[in-house]
Amino acid sequence: MKDFMMIFTGADYTDLGLSPEELQTRMGKWFAWGNKMQEQGILKGGEALTPQIRRVVGKNRTITDLTSAEVKEIVGGYYTVSAKDFDEVVKIAEDYPDYDLDGSVEIREIMVFDR
Amino acid sequence: MENQLIDHLFRHHSGKMVSVLTRIFGLKHLDIIEDAVQDTFIKASISWRNNLPENPEAWLTKAAKNRVVDIFRTLKTAQKNLPNINQGTDTIAINELFLDSEIEDAQLRMIFTACHPQLDSRDRISFALKTISGFSIKEIASALLTKEETIKKRLSRSRKAIKDSDIKFKIPQGEALKPRLETVMEVLYLVFNEGFHSNKKEKLIRKELCGEAIRLTQMLLKNKLTRTPDAYALCALMCFHASRLESKTNAENELLDLKHQDRNLWYFPLIKLGNTMMNKAVETPEFSCYHYEAAIAAEHLKARTFEATNWKKILHWYQCLNTLQPMPTHLLTMSVVCMQTKDFKLAKRYLDELKPEDFQQRAYLFYGAKAEFYAETNDYLKASEYFDLALDNVTNALEKKYLERKRNSIIRN
Repeated sequence: MKDFMMIFTGADYTDLGLSPEELQTRMGKWFAWGNKMQEQGILKGGEALTPQIRRVVGKNRTITDLTSAEVKEIVGGYYTVSAKDFDEVVKIAEDYPDYDLDGSVEIREIMVFDR
Repeated sequence: MENQLIDHLFRHHSGKMVSVLTRIFGLKHLDIIEDAVQDTFIKASISWRNNLPENPEAWLTKAAKNRVVDIFRTLKTAQKNLPNINQGTDTIAINELFLDSEIEDAQLRMIFTACHPQLDSRDRISFALKTISGFSIKEIASALLTKEETIKKRLSRSRKAIKDSDIKFKIPQGEALKPRLETVMEVLYLVFNEGFHSNKKEKLIRKELCGEAIRLTQMLLKNKLTRTPDAYALCALMCFHASRLESKTNAENELLDLKHQDRNLWYFPLIKLGNTMMNKAVETPEFSCYHYEAAIAAEHLKARTFEATNWKKILHWYQCLNTLQPMPTHLLTMSVVCMQTKDFKLAKRYLDELKPEDFQQRAYLFYGAKAEFYAETNDYLKASEYFDLALDNVTNALEKKYLERKRNSIIRN
């Protein structure tokens, strides 16, 4: 088994005009997905991120504050899961709830260093 | 991660928070308030993904209170005449406004605001669905089969009307209450009918509209000022109708008339609730249209089969209804009811009182009833004449099919 990270980009709820009802439904789907992974014992961790961004760039460490509107694909959160290979994570990612809001899941394998 | 959220918790809580915050800050800040409440839900929907709080409702209320302070800071920089929220007494006052009874009071104030006569009658439903029921513009548009642009216009027109005529966030008192309460009930009944009568909408949306209308009517019943026999009757009427929602359409979402509905699908708990409401409604001897409409609906529900319907009683209630509120559609229905009991003399008398113009675009209903009458009394020539007239005037494909089937069966005879 290897560890993978599923990184969620796009689908920032802020300006989509979603109703409370829709938000609750979406949350329910996230909840069910998390539950499912936990029951399968594959969920290692994960966090959601707020949309505020402070970016530090370049040699001069220039600092800029950005909002989600100014960033093309904002990272909204991530989960780490253990799985056999990429294909298995793709299957897990099928339950990601926000594809219809143009959200996407990026799957990356977590590197293991030899000791 | 065991506990589940109550259905519609967010939607209902949104109406509560908008109402309470409006009570604190006034209607003129409604835009800011709605945005702030929306933010709270976005925040909740993300931060609860992995872990629900112990008490979600308390979490939301606390978040709303925190937003009060935030909004206050924003407003304070713009104007000076606001009370200082950090001083003891005001904080206590605000905490009190978040008590359950006060939240209900605030929501009632919002209902009366949404149904204010200064608002255009078409705008009231949209505004109510937005502020009290927490529908998004998209949801309102699909609920009312209207474009999102139109809904946006309606909402901004309502907000403007509220500002321009400086509507107060209050439940009207004394003499003013009765007519205002009537408008409120009218609007709630319209919301209900939007859900109940259209088969063009998805079943889910229709259920939600009916559910909201019932919930808001029950809110009227919680307050002693608005707890009137008419409001009880309206609630009973909605419960009776709503109990048949599942059976009203078939798998293809086609409308079924009472004769062809599967009575096993009727939802008993709602019928029971309707009966309880009806008993309260008739504690005083004065009856409204809602009373009679509820009585008619109840009579249909009592019959185990279509054939077992007590048409005599239904006719009686229609006669009462038509005396109180004379309408061509009532007379037409009365004549159709008479045909069920084979009282063709009375059926004809009612029909003779009517003209096709009374029904405007729905004149086919009149022609159809005439045709049925002649078919039942074996005057097939006249019957097919009227079926042709009805068919010339009908636009709805389903109803057209129904009329065609009827006509063909007569021609065969």
